[in-house]
Amino acid sequence: MKRRTFIQGLAAFGVVGAMPLPLSRAFAATAASPISVNDLPALEGDLTLYLGRGEGGLYENVLQSIQKKNPKLNLSIRRGPTAALANMIVAEAKAGVKRADLFWAVDSGAIGLVTDAGLAKALPSDLEAQLQPQFRYPGWAPVTGRIRTLPYNTKRLSKDQIPDSIMAIADSDLSIGWAPAYASFQSFVTAMRILEGDDKTAKWLKKVQKRSKTYAGELGVVMAVERGEVDIGFANHYYTLRLKSGKPDANLDLAFTNQDAGCLVNASGVLSLTDNPNAMNFMRYLLSAEVQSYLAREAYEIPLIQGIDQPAGLPALTDVSPPKIDLTQLADLRPTLDLMRSSGVL
Amino acid sequence: MKLALNTLKTLGLSLVLASTFIAQPVLANGPIGEHVNHLKENLKDYSEDVEWMIGKVDTMVTDYETKGAKAVKSDDLIEFWESVKFHSAIETNYVPVYASIWQGIYGVKMAIDDKKPASEVREHQKALNAALWQGLGAVKLAADFQQKGLLKAVKATASETMTQSATIDEIKHKLDRVVAKYAERLSDEATQIVHDTYLHLFEGVEGTLIEKDAKLVEVLEKDFNVTLPKAISDKSTVDQVRAVVVDMQEKLDRAKVLLEEAEKARKDVF
Repeated sequence: MKRRTFIQGLAAFGVVGAMPLPLSRAFAATAASPISVNDLPALEGDLTLYLGRGEGGLYENVLQSIQKKNPKLNLSIRRGPTAALANMIVAEAKAGVKRADLFWAVDSGAIGLVTDAGLAKALPSDLEAQLQPQFRYPGWAPVTGRIRTLPYNTKRLSKDQIPDSIMAIADSDLSIGWAPAYASFQSFVTAMRILEGDDKTAKWLKKVQKRSKTYAGELGVVMAVERGEVDIGFANHYYTLRLKSGKPDANLDLAFTNQDAGCLVNASGVLSLTDNPNAMNFMRYLLSAEVQSYLAREAYEIPLIQGIDQPAGLPALTDVSPPKIDLTQLADLRPTLDLMRSSGVL
Repeated sequence: MKLALNTLKTLGLSLVLASTFIAQPVLANGPIGEHVNHLKENLKDYSEDVEWMIGKVDTMVTDYETKGAKAVKSDDLIEFWESVKFHSAIETNYVPVYASIWQGIYGVKMAIDDKKPASEVREHQKALNAALWQGLGAVKLAADFQQKGLLKAVKATASETMTQSATIDEIKHKLDRVVAKYAERLSDEATQIVHDTYLHLFEGVEGTLIEKDAKLVEVLEKDFNVTLPKAISDKSTVDQVRAVVVDMQEKLDRAKVLLEEAEKARKDVF
């Protein structure tokens, strides 16, 4: 399975979803080729980055490498939970203070909070052109993606026993593992609210809750599926890939739903808050061939620029059809939390 | 002698690690005060605090012994402890001893409240005094480290590079805080620290870890999500909660070795 085929699958139902498929493919092919860091301008002078934590240290390795390659760059980093940093950026702007040149967030919801406040600088066209068309946004650049999946226990189920509609899973007799307190799950519920409406989402939550077992995190969900505690789970793709990497004979595989929140592709992202030229050039480093390959290889994240191999072990995705959704809309988390609380899920 | 030296080394390392990862300037009992960044200048005050505290407790226990339970207000023990500057000096520098001090305070308080024989109260008082002196020793050592520039200032934000193996050290430190908060009778806060540590720190390293040792991740998952929260909710003794934490910290040491191996084996970004 080539990455190109996957991207064609994404494009078919992404921003260009309304276009005839061949045109979508042609559009997807317009993304520029990946650029090596060796062809990027040197970074010199000051740059302040707000870095959202959560990827387990791999972003730090990227930052260290960029710093090492650019010894004249004076990089200041403020680290913290992504949502807290997004709120801090908005609060600082309201107070007339601009401390951060750049914000690298682990989820697009936090990006939306900042872009909605009108604080993000527009991306230059060459940088935008690096990204796959369905992942182009005016004020920020997705760095890498992750897809919602249904990990399932291969001893208890075959793939064809799993509904390909996330809404239909609520009416199935499958036992389910989930992590409602987990940020990625809440983004998924937000996507469901946007796509299906609050009423349907509330009913879905209540139905699923009756047959679900709650875990603190999504690796816990995937491990529970593998142990056979539950039939299926709701989790980002990389947990299953990582577990199978450490335990190749794991009773585990991935299933996908079709054109709904169940196969949402979400992304980490970066945006510039000032006119400091280092900010945009730093973003170019993050979208370079080397950084994208590294994050795909080490973090199992999905590269969002053309021509980079997808993470090892990601199964064929020709049939995967993510929903058409503006990822920055996922910032609207409060109604999601309210809905989850009123449904008794949180 | 060798054992004493090893203990000192361990304490020194813990002090450095603790100071590195403290990210909250305001702790449960209010602002910690700038004095914690000037330990040497405040050592005299801290010594006086410890002696004053020990004297106050001794007066209370003596009154209990001679005049009975009605003659004392055991809640004053908490007020004594929260009123001294030494409180935040030890909280920011050596959390395990901070937990032992709270354990000692509540040991004395509960023995008085339960109208236990004075000899039993004296046993708890002895343990509290030992913890206070140990704490003063730890703060003196921390002051030396601080003078030599080996102890970083208490900051409002995390600004250091956090590798995955360094994250393990922070997790271990957070678990020490769980024991401290539990000893302080702040069970909800202790449980919240467990939950936050899992979601914000352990979750970030377990992806790499599971590729190296899936079984170890499985056991730690259970510890974070079942064993430790249950020990807290079951109202176990402080020693029982500490035993769970010590067991987790040993597993985390194994995890750290695996993560360091993974970091060494990882190819450069470019």
